[in-house]
Order: sequence, then structure tokens, then C-alpha cells
Amino acid sequence: MKVGAERRLAAVLLAPALAVLAGVTLYPLAQALVLSLERRVPVFGIDEFVGLRHYGFLLRDPAFANALHVTAVFTVVSVALEVVLGVAAALALATMRRWRAVAVALLLLPWCLPGVVTARMFEWLYYPTGWLGIPGRALPALIVADVWRTTPFLALFAYARLISIPPGIAEAAAVDGASRLATFRTITLPLLAPVLLTAALFRTLDALRAFDLMYVLTGGGPAATTETLTLYAYRHLFQTLQLGLGAAAAVLVLVVVTLVAWAHLHAVEASEART
Amino acid sequence: MVARLGGLALVVLLFAGCAGGDETSGVELVFRHSRMPGQSDPLPGLLREFERDHPGVRVTHEPLPWTADVQHQFYVINLEGRTAGFDVLMLDVIWAPEFARAGWLLDLTDRWPVAERAEHFEATVAAAMLDGRVWAVPWVMNVGLLYYRRDLLDASGFAPPRSYDELASQARAVMERAGDRRLGGFVWQGRQYEGLVVNILEELWARGVELVGTDGRVLVDLDGAAAALGFRRRLLTDGISPSLVTGADEEQTRREFGAGRAVFLRNWPYALRLFESPTSAVRGRVGITALPGGGALGGAHLAINRATRHPELSWQLVRFLTTDRAQRAIADAVGLHPTRPRLLDPSLRSIFAAARPRPITPWYQTLSATIQPAFSAAITGVTPPREALVTARLQLEYFLGDQWQ
Repeated sequence: MKVGAERRLAAVLLAPALAVLAGVTLYPLAQALVLSLERRVPVFGIDEFVGLRHYGFLLRDPAFANALHVTAVFTVVSVALEVVLGVAAALALATMRRWRAVAVALLLLPWCLPGVVTARMFEWLYYPTGWLGIPGRALPALIVADVWRTTPFLALFAYARLISIPPGIAEAAAVDGASRLATFRTITLPLLAPVLLTAALFRTLDALRAFDLMYVLTGGGPAATTETLTLYAYRHLFQTLQLGLGAAAAVLVLVVVTLVAWAHLHAVEASEART
Repeated sequence: MVARLGGLALVVLLFAGCAGGDETSGVELVFRHSRMPGQSDPLPGLLREFERDHPGVRVTHEPLPWTADVQHQFYVINLEGRTAGFDVLMLDVIWAPEFARAGWLLDLTDRWPVAERAEHFEATVAAAMLDGRVWAVPWVMNVGLLYYRRDLLDASGFAPPRSYDELASQARAVMERAGDRRLGGFVWQGRQYEGLVVNILEELWARGVELVGTDGRVLVDLDGAAAALGFRRRLLTDGISPSLVTGADEEQTRREFGAGRAVFLRNWPYALRLFESPTSAVRGRVGITALPGGGALGGAHLAINRATRHPELSWQLVRFLTTDRAQRAIADAVGLHPTRPRLLDPSLRSIFAAARPRPITPWYQTLSATIQPAFSAAITGVTPPREALVTARLQLEYFLGDQWQ
């Protein structure tokens, strides 16, 4: 078959998949974009074109800037902690001789719980402390809950990679006189890096859309110190019923998520190129 | 997509039509309401009674989601879709104007005689009005009130406070006298949610400040509102209100006071039964009085879905569920209070009469959701009160344009 004919065939074969993809992603995206250019409060029959006015408002609105800040802090701190603790847990697991299956099962437990259940549990844990009502403490308290819940995800990824590293490499390093720390830094960690980056990307994208813990535990308070971007968009989509403004906020969330994902993927490629 | 959904709906309707044709029993009314608290739900009994009086009519009642926020969401989605999935609906006391403006409710003005409206507390009827028309009938009533430790106040020779300043100074004196570091002064709902708006509104009313003016403009008296928030902030910094207040809702403050760790508590009437239960640590030592400036009106109304196919029967059901007898049955079974003064325990009557509705506007939900972070920022000291209020006002002006009323 000629190259041109093959290309055409490929296009034909891909067309259904592409159409589905366009249907489920591009169509809603286009709808959201259109909606973000309107002042629409369907409940009261308000529907007018306002152009980019919502975006102008969002860039001026201190509440939106605050939501960006809260989301950034939450994402960076919780994902960083999850990676560190996840690797530590994986290393501990890998050295276990007995009860390993039991330990893995226990480790997974927090991750299996529905978010709302986790939130309710932490609500009772935090109740005597009053942290959820104190501006400097509420966000750290939520981060702890999130880390508790999602460290197992990172740990499992890291553990799976760890046990696939042939033990011979570490043994050879030991024979050459490398310390355990040096072995970890120069052999284990570089081999783990691509997996960790991928897992961290998943987690980052999740954390950027963080919603359930805040929704249940603080409602974004106190003083909006736990109001993430998603909660901000929710407030306008479902409480003030400003669909246009909520859509504009959601579009900006999408832009942020896309940029972060793109930067992250580049980092993954670079790290894979090194190994 | 829309066309396909429409097609699907048509098919469903056709089948529903067939099923309806097979039934000989006639009409089914659907009543949506939130779950009654406690064990002895009086509704099934009342509805069976209604069915006995209306042969051929079957009433199914379906509970709503648990929290007011999710209930509101449920209604918006279903009513905006113009589905007649239910005929009679329970409304939180702050929703009637919004739902009426949206065109979801049946206008009850001509069905409900003026003389009968006068039987109810004025605030409850006022909360059901928009543009001079009535859209819902008061069903059960709630009002914010002040709980105090009678034993502690008596020991210091205090009468229940008439102003928040007096409350603060009494709390301070009682705390000093008790010398117990675990005893807090005044606990109230300071978490960032609807309850905070209610508490701040009550503080504003005691100072004669309005959140929404008669001309429909919001936060005109910035200085008055800022002073009210500043006062609440000082309660916290002076240690009269414990720090847990900024994260507390009704239940947390109720537990705190119920454990004997506070002199004063602002809460709804439901807590009284719990304080007087046999296992309560404060049993027999709790007094109640009206809040200075009046407590916020809570409770629920019954309304009729405009898309109902049985407006007359639905109205019969609303009338039946809001009769003296039904209100009394609900009060006896689950402790939700009637909306008619004459049905109320005389000791509660003056407190209930002082109830004031929250701003009656279709935009209440927007107002509240926008102002909650501002109030929270002010009482936690994150933002100076005036600055927080100016920000909220700018946001509200953007959301509403000139469409306040």
C-alpha cells in the first residue's frame, strides 16, 4: 500500500474514535466557552451577551485571586508530602519479609474510603481542636486529611516499581562499597523518578480540582482560607446561580490545569530521556 | 443531544401514559419534604388521614436530601426542568421569593383568605410574599433565641440581658466569678455558612442596621455593619466567645453549652428538649429569652409546583397539612413549632413574636453566599470589617446589576 493510501485508511479508522472524543470533550468545552461570555441566570430568565466581562471581573475579584492562591498552596504542599511519604512507605514495604500482603491491604484502606467518609472522620478528629475554624490552621488540617487519604496511591506506584528493580543492581553497588544512602540516591531514586512523576501528575491534577474535603469540612471557610478554585466555581454555579461567571471560572481552572499538565509531561519526558 | 433527550422523554411519557391508563384508582399526589427529626414521624399518619377524606387520592411523600444546600440544588434542577415530578413541596423559609420569581410556584393569593393569613405570625407570612402576592403557606416555625445558664446568672444577681453589650459584660463577670478556665462566655454559630449570616443579621438588627434597605440596596450603612462585625470580633479577642466559635455550627455550639462549658448560647428552639433530657449536664439550669433585637426566622413553608396537574387537590393537601391539628401533631411528635401564636406554648409566644425574617428578596441565596466569606474574614480578623464589606458589596453589585427587587 502506498503511504498516502495508508494515511487515508488510518484517518478513516481513527475517525469514529476522534468523533467520540470530540463529542465528549470538545463539545462541552465549546459550550462552557460560549456560556462564559454570557450573563446567564436561568432561574430568573436572565440571558445576555457580555463578552469578556466575566474574565475581567475574575481577574479583579480578590476572592478569585484567593482561590488561586489556596489551590496552589494545597496542591504543592499536599502532593510534595504525598510523594515523600509514599516513597518512604514503599521502601518500608519492600524490606518487609512477612505480612507484606497484610501491610499493603492496610495501606490501601484510606484510599478506598469515599471522600465524604474521610471528611466526616476528620471532622470528628478535629472537633476538639477547633482548627477548622482558625484561619491559619484550617488549610493545613485539610492538607493532612488529603495526605492521609492519598499517600497510599503514591506508595503503591513506588512499591510496584521498587519490586521490579532487579536486586542484583543494589547488590553490585554494595559490593563496590556504596553506602545505602548513596545506593538510594544514585540508583533507586533515578529508577523511581519516571513513575513518581507520572503518579505526582495524577495527584496534581486531582489536587488542583480539590473539592470534597473542603465542601464537607469547612465550606471554604474560615474567611475563605480553604476556598479552592473548584469551590469558587461551585459557589457561582450552584449557589449564586451565575452560570456565566461560574463557567468563566471553570474555563480558567481548565487553563491552569492544562498548563500544569503540559509542564509536568515535559518534566516526565526529560527525566525519561536521562534514564 | 437535546432532540434525543426530548425523544427519550416522549417515550417515557408514552409508557407512563399507558401505565396510568391501567390504573383505576385515580390521582396520585407527590409531596417532597425534608425528613422529620427524631423517631416518631407524624407525616405518614397525617397523609393516610388525608387519603381517607379524599377517596381515590393517593399521596406519596418523598424525603429530600439531608442538607438545605443540596435540597435547594435538587429543587433548582427539577423545577427549572419544568418536570411535574412532585405537586406539593416544602420550602426553607428563605426560598419562597426566589422560587416565585423563577415562576416555579402556584400563586396562592386568591385561594388563601386574608383572614386566615392573620392567624399566623406576621414574619412567617411576610417571608412567603413577593410583589404583594402570596406563594407559600407557613408550616413549621423556628426562631433564633438566647439560652442562658439560669444558675450562673442568678448567682451573680443578673437578669437575662437586653442588649449584646450587656450580654458581654454579664458573661465576663460570670466567667471571672466562676474562675473556671473551661467555662466560655457566649457561644454562637461563626462557621462560614448560612448560620453565620443569621447570627450577624441578629447583631445588625439589635443595632438598627439593615443589610438590605427598603430601596433594595445592599449594605448602605457600612459603618453600622462594620461596627457590628467589630463587636463580634472583640467577643473573640477578649475571650468572651471561645475560639471554637469561628468554626462552629448549631450542633457544635449546642454540645458546648450542653456540656456546661458556656454561659450563653444562641441557637434554635430544638436544643431546649436536649438540655432538659435526663442525661443532660445542664438539666434544670437553662433559661431562654428573646435575642436582643429579635431572633431570625427559620422554619419551612409549603408551596405548590406550578407545573402540577392537580392544583386544587394540592391546595387541599397544603391546607390539611397546615391546619391547627396537623401543626399540633407535628409539634407533639418531633418538636417543630407551629406558626400560629395560639398553638404555641405561652412561655415561647413572646420570643416567637419577636422573630424577624432574613432579607426577603429573590436574590437571598446570592446575597448570603457572597457575604459569608466577608463576615467570616471580619470575625476571624483576617480582613478589617469595613474592607471585607466593601469587597462583598462590589461583588454583589456585579452579580445583580440593578436587579435587586
